[in-house]
Amino acid sequence: MPQFFLNKRLIILLVSIIILVALIGFSLRDRDQLTLPEQFIKDTTGWVQSMVSRPAHYFAGFFENLKDLQNTYDENKELKKHLDDMARLEAKVYSLEKENTELKEILDKKDSLRDYDPLQATVIARSPDRLWHEMIIINKGKSHGVQKNMAVMTSRGLIGKVKSTTPFTSTVQLLSALDPTNRISAALQGDKKLYGTIEGYDKENEWLLLKGLPVDAKIKKDQNVVTSGMGGVFPGDVPIGKVLKVVPDEFGLNQTAYIKPSADFYNIEHVMVLKRGMEIPKEIENDEVEEEEDL
Amino acid sequence: MKRFWVPLLLTFLFVFESLFVQLVPGDLFKEGYVFVPRFLIISIFFLTMYGSVKHGLIYGFIFGLLYDMVYTEIIGIYLFMFPLSAYIFSGFMRILQTNILVVSFVSIICVALLEAGVYQMNLLIHITDMDFSSFSKIRLIPTLILNLVFIILSAYPLKRLFEKFSDSLRND
Repeated sequence: MPQFFLNKRLIILLVSIIILVALIGFSLRDRDQLTLPEQFIKDTTGWVQSMVSRPAHYFAGFFENLKDLQNTYDENKELKKHLDDMARLEAKVYSLEKENTELKEILDKKDSLRDYDPLQATVIARSPDRLWHEMIIINKGKSHGVQKNMAVMTSRGLIGKVKSTTPFTSTVQLLSALDPTNRISAALQGDKKLYGTIEGYDKENEWLLLKGLPVDAKIKKDQNVVTSGMGGVFPGDVPIGKVLKVVPDEFGLNQTAYIKPSADFYNIEHVMVLKRGMEIPKEIENDEVEEEEDL
Repeated sequence: MKRFWVPLLLTFLFVFESLFVQLVPGDLFKEGYVFVPRFLIISIFFLTMYGSVKHGLIYGFIFGLLYDMVYTEIIGIYLFMFPLSAYIFSGFMRILQTNILVVSFVSIICVALLEAGVYQMNLLIHITDMDFSSFSKIRLIPTLILNLVFIILSAYPLKRLFEKFSDSLRND
């Protein structure tokens, strides 16, 4: 078949399909870190993007401020109402915190899974290929101490985790990504803590799915969902959202709860990367995972 | 000097696409719809039409690679789809007449082909498990509307720019 091999276009197509499959296979592997050329290109584009995005945000912010002025009066009324509650809550939190530290001192327990150290970062870009890749790029990277899989939140709640880092930028995969490997261990706050994993996102209703809850558990509407702090570098008690409704899963062995996320996955400008205060030695970490399974 | 305008414009559009999704509110019309800007590839289509096919394919390749590295972290999908859709576009234009309306219409069709191709690939590698009807409802149709608006606004300036570019290529 000499004629077949002489067809230049066909050969180019075949060769490029082979290269395509190889490259996709290479990048789909569970990579610990990006290759050097990738890191270099991401840093360079990150530099350009941060140069462009800052003035653009100021410009957009100006119009947003004008829009905000319109409903200042109503908002002010609402906020004053909340302010009365705030003072009471603040006093309560203070006394509780004090009591907590005192009790901890008695027990000689120094750090807990809940301690974290927030690192402020600004969003410099967002993947335009939305729906398949819900990712944002932030202006803090490896040199600032960001590591893979760290939790990222806005002031309102968890938004995702760090997918990859380069020296000066890092990429955050949002919880709203459809990627089935995007899982986070979560807990339901209540009399008895219930554990499950956040996996999946209902795009049409904008709900998160909390799977793997025990079938006999009584779950109420509006219960808080937080991160469990188990496994990896996630701190505990970072708010995720509130329960909307609970349905039995397809085999009837577990329950799935629909969660209304407390953070907005769209308008993100400033984020915090959470470094967990407590370092866990490798063996203990493994034990903990087993414990979680026993529960 | 005119030679630098094309890569500069394409780089600007590359950054602008991400700015666009950041700054334009997601619930602009109704919540749940996804508007994907495809300004970069539309400009590459116009470059293959009014500039040269060779340059269009090369820029498609370069910016496809950049897009993959920066925005998706899965190398290969756009690296393959950008030059392929530019090639299909130039194939269409060889048999059709080169009226600006026809060019705009064929670009929209090629954007739809690109979107569908990317969807198929993501389905194949299990990035998504969405069915085609909800994909077209949530993403495909809003995307086409957004890009149609972009083409209407920028078809004529892009045509002028790339015609000047091809003149400068011929003079060299």
